[in-house]
Amino acid sequence: MSNHIIENLRKEIEAFKADTKTEKVGHVIEVFDGIAKISGLSDIKSSEMVTFQNGETGVALNLEEDTVGVVILGDFSKIKEGNEVKATGKILEIPVGDSLLGRVVSPLGQAIDGKGAIKADKTYPIEKVATGVVTRQSVSEPVATGIKVIDAIIPVGRGQRELIIGDRQTGKTALCIDSILNQKGQNMICVYVSIGQKDSKLRKIEARLEEGGAMAYTVIVSAGASEPAPLSYIAPYAGVAVAEYFMDKGKDVLIIYDDLSKHAVAYREISLLLRRPPGREAYPGDVFYLHSRLLERACRRNAKYGGGSITALPIIETQAGDISAYIPTNVISITDGQIFLETDLFYKGIRPAVNVGSSVSRVGGNAQIKAMKKVAGTLKLDLAQFRELEAFSQFGSDLDESTKRQLERGKRAVEVLKQLQYSPVKTEHQVVTLYALTKGFMDDVPVEKIKAFEQGLTDYSERNAKTFYKEIKDTKMWTNKGEKELEKVIEDYKNSFS
Amino acid sequence: MAKISPKNIAEAVYKATEGKSKQDLTAVLKRSVRVLENKRMLGKSEEVLNALQNIFDKKTGTVRMKVATAKRMEHPKRSKLEDEIKIKYKAQIVVGEFLEKEELLGGARVEVRDEVLDTTYSNKLHQLEKFLIQGK
Repeated sequence: MSNHIIENLRKEIEAFKADTKTEKVGHVIEVFDGIAKISGLSDIKSSEMVTFQNGETGVALNLEEDTVGVVILGDFSKIKEGNEVKATGKILEIPVGDSLLGRVVSPLGQAIDGKGAIKADKTYPIEKVATGVVTRQSVSEPVATGIKVIDAIIPVGRGQRELIIGDRQTGKTALCIDSILNQKGQNMICVYVSIGQKDSKLRKIEARLEEGGAMAYTVIVSAGASEPAPLSYIAPYAGVAVAEYFMDKGKDVLIIYDDLSKHAVAYREISLLLRRPPGREAYPGDVFYLHSRLLERACRRNAKYGGGSITALPIIETQAGDISAYIPTNVISITDGQIFLETDLFYKGIRPAVNVGSSVSRVGGNAQIKAMKKVAGTLKLDLAQFRELEAFSQFGSDLDESTKRQLERGKRAVEVLKQLQYSPVKTEHQVVTLYALTKGFMDDVPVEKIKAFEQGLTDYSERNAKTFYKEIKDTKMWTNKGEKELEKVIEDYKNSFS
Repeated sequence: MAKISPKNIAEAVYKATEGKSKQDLTAVLKRSVRVLENKRMLGKSEEVLNALQNIFDKKTGTVRMKVATAKRMEHPKRSKLEDEIKIKYKAQIVVGEFLEKEELLGGARVEVRDEVLDTTYSNKLHQLEKFLIQGK
């Protein structure tokens, strides 16, 4: 055994060839708060990686006349004035490969889950120009999130960018985790980018994903709250680089940025330390470009270019519901729609607390399956009318029959769209429930029994409407034959329910 | 108002001293120091001097070289190295600073401007260490 080790080591040493080439070096003039000013390095490129004498890595962000402003990606306390800095000639990149699946990595691609080093196939640049127009195609396939209100009213398509926006504690992360959990068997790779989150929260998320068997197709990229701002700044770019690796292999990827408000704050910190001029809310002038170049990398490639896609679900945390602040308006304008979560709804017990009126999906409708389109077509309008009538009905009790009917239907719709955390619903079940709702089968079921009715109906219909289920699952189509079968099954179930 | 950099001061000093007699030169230099004091830049005098040195070097075609070796480098080797540097950097004059550092173990480390050619044994050992740890 010992001979074997010695022999192998001898072979390794014999195979080793030291590099003797000219290197570009500079010297640290100043270090403060994760930023280093370097003299020398005359030919350095923007975003080029540098290595410090103590082994830490940095990225050149400010190229000035005599100095280079470098953000230090790690512990800056051991870097001293006069230390040597070497240019690597490489733009910041992250190791990528299939081995990343099921792992938690730092934005530099280092394993932080204690499961050992990651053997990567290759490296991908963190900053990259988004894929071109020629290679793209329109969004036409749905991402089944398993959340009824989203799949029915604000559908998300593969390659879409849908913003999730809301105050703290409104269930933004929960929506995303549910979406990841529902991707099991949907041929989707998920990347969850955690920016400035507490390590305890990340640990909980990882444990939940592990429990749901979702880590097998998920990569977590994390820059924790205790990490320096530069790591938070590069985290989403690192995440999308991982997503691009899988997309280049023709796979569909769902990437979640949790959250871009903290990302903007990290970038503001770096920019102010680099003495870049502050603008609105002290953010630098290029904060729009910061997010637009990131979200533009989400796309759907056409078949000629591999046919993969990246669907982005960025999260933005608002302060007291103010969606007209700087960063929220920026990201709203970049994305293809937003899912707006409200504190009031959350505390009323309407969870997920999605405000259907303010939420929109600009391109997702094209991706919705026929069956879902058919059953959920008027749901958004019905709910909007319900909210209006609900407010109006508080002033008087004399309401005509049709108004009462609409109010009752609305109450049941709200009840149907409520969903517990970590319990995504299959598309087929969603179609059945929404069909029963919109066709009035639930009108005479008491509101408090709606949940039980729904649960029973989905179980019963799965057993008895086999043709319908097969059609939806295989062809995603809606036929008269299937509809008749479903109608009969719902009637049968309803008779037995009471 | 734009911030004055040490390089700006050095350029001004160079322009002001160009072609001056010895007497005038003393007066100009005294006034330069006063400017530094007025602009509260005395603390940056080292940077100003370095910048001035660079300007003079550029004008005279001088290249400064720092060579570190484990053992003292003999004269023929030194002049051969200087000739090589003269050709590589198209320099008129090469000013060499030769240092002895035992910890380099062998080979030489040549530093010119912001370029370094490190052929020392200590660097090679360091590379081998990295290679064995990272496996690449």
